[in-house]
Amino acid sequence: MTTLAVEDLEVRYGQITALRDVALTVGDDEMVAVVGPNGAGKSTLANTVSGFLPYSGRISYRDEDIAGLSTQDLVRRGLIHCTESRDLFGYLSVEDNLTLGAYGSSDARAGLDAVYGLFPRLEERRDQPARTMSGGEQQMLAIGRALMGDPELLVLDEPTLGLAPVVLDDISDGLERIRDDGVAVLLCEQNVTFALRHADRVYLLENGQVQRDGDPDLLRDDEYVREVYLGT
Amino acid sequence: MVDVATLAVNSVIISALYALVAIGFTLIFGVGGVLNLSHGATITLGAFAAYYASGGIVEAGVGGAVLAAIVVPALFSAAVYKGLIERIQDQPVMVMILTLVVAIAVEQVFLVAEGTQPKSIPSLLDGTVALGGSKFQTNLLVVFALSWVIIAGLFYTINNTETGKAILATSMTTKGAALVGIESDRVNLYTWVVAGGLAGVAGLFLGSFQTANFAMGRGPLMLSFAIVVIGGIGSVKGSLVGAYVIGTAEVVTGAINTRLTGLVPLLLLILVLLVKPEGLFGRELAE
Repeated sequence: MTTLAVEDLEVRYGQITALRDVALTVGDDEMVAVVGPNGAGKSTLANTVSGFLPYSGRISYRDEDIAGLSTQDLVRRGLIHCTESRDLFGYLSVEDNLTLGAYGSSDARAGLDAVYGLFPRLEERRDQPARTMSGGEQQMLAIGRALMGDPELLVLDEPTLGLAPVVLDDISDGLERIRDDGVAVLLCEQNVTFALRHADRVYLLENGQVQRDGDPDLLRDDEYVREVYLGT
Repeated sequence: MVDVATLAVNSVIISALYALVAIGFTLIFGVGGVLNLSHGATITLGAFAAYYASGGIVEAGVGGAVLAAIVVPALFSAAVYKGLIERIQDQPVMVMILTLVVAIAVEQVFLVAEGTQPKSIPSLLDGTVALGGSKFQTNLLVVFALSWVIIAGLFYTINNTETGKAILATSMTTKGAALVGIESDRVNLYTWVVAGGLAGVAGLFLGSFQTANFAMGRGPLMLSFAIVVIGGIGSVKGSLVGAYVIGTAEVVTGAINTRLTGLVPLLLLILVLLVKPEGLFGRELAE
């Protein structure tokens, strides 16, 4: 079963084509990474899948065409997007941010316990306004808030951007546990080493087009990828 | 001789009333980013709805007047949002033009229907009360108490209910709100309805100790600008504090020379813009 299927995807900003002929799939329980340099179109892909951008081509989520569905419709169906800019509610507390992640569902308590279990740091800071936290803590909060929506598919855009190595480990551990819980993940990530470590399959995106795809070992052995992205 | 106690009581009362007006104004701006120039006209509508319900057309008593002053402006406000603003809310200039046109249209309707003669609205409660050696109309004290009940209820609702938090969340980031499934159009509609009801009841209160006339909403609209800038654009708490600053300044200068009352809020507005442009509790301009 595929959770997400993208075919012939094209996205334009005016005259500029940001994505062209993009095709990819994310299976149930699968973690799929999209890697590539800055400006390759990773965030555009994430924003399109979560219903923020108009597109041509076909995107289906759990065998349903998402054309005509709003971001909110998709959230209710379990497609949750954790953006690169995080878009946290800066003046609300950590706990309010998390509780709003379960907006529309009657019980947030179980979700809160699960997220606090995943990122204990958030529980220590539950009453602190989100904007006063460090970048790493904000990233944990953004992921935590996304998990509160009980995702079937989690779209994670640049979760490691600007984070210290120590914090990176916390995010890594969190990601593994999310995968173990059976959540499908589309990971858009500039940090190729990080992506290859976690993903089941990887797509390399350059200038809006998929240049390579396969399992991490295949890409790790690819001469071009090694030279340009891994520096070995 | 200026009586300090009277001034203090008057300041406290009129400020509470201004807070009702300014909180609605700042909610719409903070959540939707929309500058609603028809907010003053909504006050006028509330006052006339109360006038019509209390003998102008039907005799529904004070209770009926209060109900009319809340429901009619709330529905009107909802209609303005759904009918005109929703599809152009990303174009600030269009929004300002349209809401200004709505404001003028409302004024003209009442001017044509009722003329320039002020209409009296019944007091919520007749009689006087002695307080600190001075006598005050009971009506004013009722206005004060009800204003605070409404303000407190609003604060509680915004800070403690899921819908209230969704309103706060949308005011901070529309995209973030969408990411958790909050429908921003619905949240905007809520704020317009709440702001309309608040402005309407403020119109009734104002009319109950002054009178109602077609242009009565202009002054409070101008004051709302000053209040909201002083308090910090988008901050509900700030507009409450700002209302007290402006209300007090107005009453005090009015005691010295009534001609100054219109000027002082504008001077305060300019002062705040120069010294602390983000306002006392501002966040929009602070970031």
